[in-house]
This record gives sequence, C-alpha cells and structure tokens, in this order.
Amino acid sequence: MAREHLSNDDFFTQLASLIETTHQRGHGSVYLTQKRLTFGSSAPSSPTGKVPDDPLWDLHPPNPLPLIVRATDGKSHKLDKEGGATAKGGIGRTKNAEKVKLSTVVQPDDIEAFFTRYAEVCKGGMRGLRRRDRSKRKKKDKGKKKGLAESVKT
Amino acid sequence: MVYLKTPEEWQHHSALLLQARPTTTRITTKYKIPNLASPKYNKPNKRKRDGGDGEEKEQHTGPKVPRAVLVLKTYDPESGVVLKLKTDKAADVGRLIEGLGRLGRRMAALPEKAEEAVMEDAEVAEQAPVGGATAPNGKETAAAATTGDGKALHTSGGGGGGGGGGAKKKKKGKK
Repeated sequence: MAREHLSNDDFFTQLASLIETTHQRGHGSVYLTQKRLTFGSSAPSSPTGKVPDDPLWDLHPPNPLPLIVRATDGKSHKLDKEGGATAKGGIGRTKNAEKVKLSTVVQPDDIEAFFTRYAEVCKGGMRGLRRRDRSKRKKKDKGKKKGLAESVKT
Repeated sequence: MVYLKTPEEWQHHSALLLQARPTTTRITTKYKIPNLASPKYNKPNKRKRDGGDGEEKEQHTGPKVPRAVLVLKTYDPESGVVLKLKTDKAADVGRLIEGLGRLGRRMAALPEKAEEAVMEDAEVAEQAPVGGATAPNGKETAAAATTGDGKALHTSGGGGGGGGGGAKKKKKGKK
C-alpha cells in the first residue's frame, strides 16, 4: 500500500466517518481486515523471515508481532456510466481513484485498548443490523443462531 | 468454503486455523447494506415452494427495508481454508469484535489470558457435538499437525494456563 499508515486514533475517526457515509448512501459495504504485520517490521532481524529447514517457522516467533488493520469501502472499480454506457450499452469499469483505504498498525501492547475502541466504533456505526426484539416468539429457540434468510414478521 | 452456524464455532475454528498458520491467515469483517434498487434484489421470486413455506414467501415480499449484514471471514491463502460467519443481529457485533481481539492476540503471538482459555473451554464444551460432526477435514488435520508446536508457543510465552486450555480443546474437538 502506497499510503502511510494512520495512527490508531485517526483510523477510528476515519472509520467512523466511512461507516457513516455508507449509511447515508443507503447501501454499500465496509471491509475490515486484520492480519499479522509481516512486511517492513521495525525489528532489524526479521522475525518473519522464512527458515527453510523449519516448515513451522512462523509458529514460534521470538517476539510478539504487530497487527495491521485495514478498512476499505470495497470500491476498487467504478461503473463508468458517462463514457462507456453510451457506446454499446456496456458499462466500462475503470479504476476508482476515490477508493477509501485506511490502514493502521496495532502494536502488541495496544491490542486490548484497540479492540475495545474498535468494538465501540462498530457497535455505534453498524446501525442497519437487526435489533434484539423480545416480543417475537421466534427468538425463543435459543441456542440456534439463525441465518439471514429468516426475517421476522408477525 | 464453510459457513459456520454459530459465532462460538467460528471463533473456535478460526483460532485453530490461526494457531496453525498465524502469519498468512487474515480475518475480514464485511459490513454490508444491500442496495435494494439493484437488479439482484428485484428479480421475481420464481422458485415454487410447497408445504409450510407459504409464510416465508410472504415474508420475502414484505416491506423492503435495507437490512444490513455482517460477514466475518477467516482466510488462509496458503492452505485455501475459508471460514465464514454471517449474522444480521446487532447483539452479535460486540462479542464478535471481542472475539476478533482474542484472535488478534493469537496473530500477534501473545499468550492467551488465563480467563480466556477457560472461556474457550466452556464454549467448546457447549458446541462440541456440533463442531465434531461438521468440522471440515482440512482444519482438523492442520490443527492436529501443530498440536505440539501450539503448546510450545503458549508455554514459551508464559501462559501456562493457555497451553493447558489448548490441549483440552483439541481433545474435545476431535470427538
């Protein structure tokens, strides 16, 4: 990724606004990814370098490793309606320069604080999900988690 | 690709996958608000169903409100394992992200906390019959292959409790 990583604070601010814009648009997605950071780590002796003799080289790193958390709106391409649609009715796909991409690095020591805030931001932002509704009888079969297919209506 | 039924199951299997391949595994959380104006949602429902599904059909034609969904996906490009969990319940968000935090600790190669190990044991005990029956083979073998090293990882990190929890978990999962 060409751009700089954000600080954790900026990441949360921008993530919250990303979720908010998605809501205002009425549809769309937000993708959040977390992964062990294995590229350009600050440690001089790369703890993630492959050891050819040991196929399980990554199972016991000497030090805890940072995580990278990314957020995007998933819009890698945009539908080029102005130019492409007129020609053959086909819709051209062009690279979307305005794709929202956020990333931040979470140090091992900050993980707990990060995820506490992460949960707050997500709980606050993801308002389109189904609220708990105690009046519906369907909720009674507890233990069985229901899929999306079922929608509640009496 | 597998859709797991409960968050606990997803958590458990993701933890095992992460234990086996901590460097390559990534977890993606997708929050999606469907575009009800798109053709995908405007297709007439041609599928004829019989029996007690009449009620369900009626529900589908009900008032159209964009209902967001949350899809969690654990993916390891090296082995190609995909574990997914789909939910539309707001109540799940908090504990799922808490779960992400727990998995994040594994990713960072931090030892598990003792209380977490206990909690996971409880979760596993609760879902053991289901998990054992539906577990895809790839994961089971991957987890089994790394049992020894996984333990070493925990104990070296100073989390004695975590190591014990891991071993117990395996035993139950294999039933």
